Amino acid sequence: MNNNILYTHRTKLADIVAENSCMLSVLQRLNIKLGFGEATVAEACRRYNLSADLFLIISNIYSFKDYLPSVETLKPSDTVQLTSYLRASHRYYKELCFPLIHEKIHSLVKELDQVSRHLIDKFYDDYDSEIENHFAYEENFVFPYIERLLMNENNDKDKFRIGKFEENHSNIGEKLNDLKNIIIKYLPETYSSPLRFDILKDIYAVESELRKHSLIENRLLVPLVEKIENSNEQAR
Amino acid sequence: MNRPDKLKIVLIEPSEIVTAGFKSIVERSHEFEITNTFPNPEYYNHTHAKADIIVINPAVINYNERFDIRSFFSNDGDNITIVALIYTGYEESVMRLYDGSINIYDSGSRILQKLHSAVEDARQNPKNELNELSTRERDILIAVAKGKTNKEIADDFNISVYTVISHRRNISRKLGINSISGLTVYAIMNKLIDMSDFN
Repeated sequence: MNNNILYTHRTKLADIVAENSCMLSVLQRLNIKLGFGEATVAEACRRYNLSADLFLIISNIYSFKDYLPSVETLKPSDTVQLTSYLRASHRYYKELCFPLIHEKIHSLVKELDQVSRHLIDKFYDDYDSEIENHFAYEENFVFPYIERLLMNENNDKDKFRIGKFEENHSNIGEKLNDLKNIIIKYLPETYSSPLRFDILKDIYAVESELRKHSLIENRLLVPLVEKIENSNEQAR
Repeated sequence: MNRPDKLKIVLIEPSEIVTAGFKSIVERSHEFEITNTFPNPEYYNHTHAKADIIVINPAVINYNERFDIRSFFSNDGDNITIVALIYTGYEESVMRLYDGSINIYDSGSRILQKLHSAVEDARQNPKNELNELSTRERDILIAVAKGKTNKEIADDFNISVYTVISHRRNISRKLGINSISGLTVYAIMNKLIDMSDFN
């Protein structure tokens, strides 16, 4: 793969997926079925009624480490697909990624003394509810705001602006990073089961997912919604 | 013309006479240059002076914070050389935190010599151990893990909130743990506190 060439509408979807295993979960979130043969990105997206521009940006984010997405190619109408992709991502993290890590941590700390076990369990429970609140805020408050905005149904009382969301967008990766360091450095050496390595691999994977997820929210969702806010305000 | 590889000195000294004298001595040197001078460290913290060497009169540091000298300049990186400019004697345990010391009665050439060896010394024996927590940092970590606020910690140790914050920044950098609950896990695992501290 040439590292400098981003994917385009004419790239074969199969090539993108074959290069990068993370794209598998992206396909699942977008409900794209495997077996698309030689279809290009443009063709596949047409079939699934997806914005090819949005799909390309997401693919490029997942495939090129230093790629900085921009909203230039996106239209306000792509916002609907973007929020539904974000919702699907939340579901994927909540229903698959985090429970898996939690379960593994739970069986890892079984070997620990009671105090450490209690602590790590509590640490993870706290993190779980932090994540839960974070996603719930977006799903129950921010996304509905965006949906109203798209239908131009916001009344003047609606004081919220997407810029505020960016301000409050807490870093959900922080505790995960703490947990990673605790498992790498501070769990006693005696607890060196393969499971400990295994959990770390899962944490790296989720960390990288969350980084991309925040990138999509901060660099795509926020500017796109700001555009809509501005044009709605001008129309008034 | 300044040679590009001169080491940059920031001087923190309350006396204008001493500041002027120190400047004129350093101007003779091909090795060093003074980029900034401040009457006390509070001003220093609000600027972006990028120094290789801090020359500071320990008298400008509050007595209760005399052991926190390195954390004042933790933003300048671990390679910063800190030299005391002293009029009088100080406790050995405090002086050990500096990379060198200059007495105001030293001759000009002796001062430049001392600056030179302080830089060498800082390179060979870094005072900011990159990995281990200092005793002070460990004490503060324990307080954080027990759930104390920055204000409470500042009062307990008789230091400023600002100093507490810079200790906490250093602790998190060294351990790679930022959240309070993560620090608590660390403290328990390393037996710095036990569960009874929470009851």
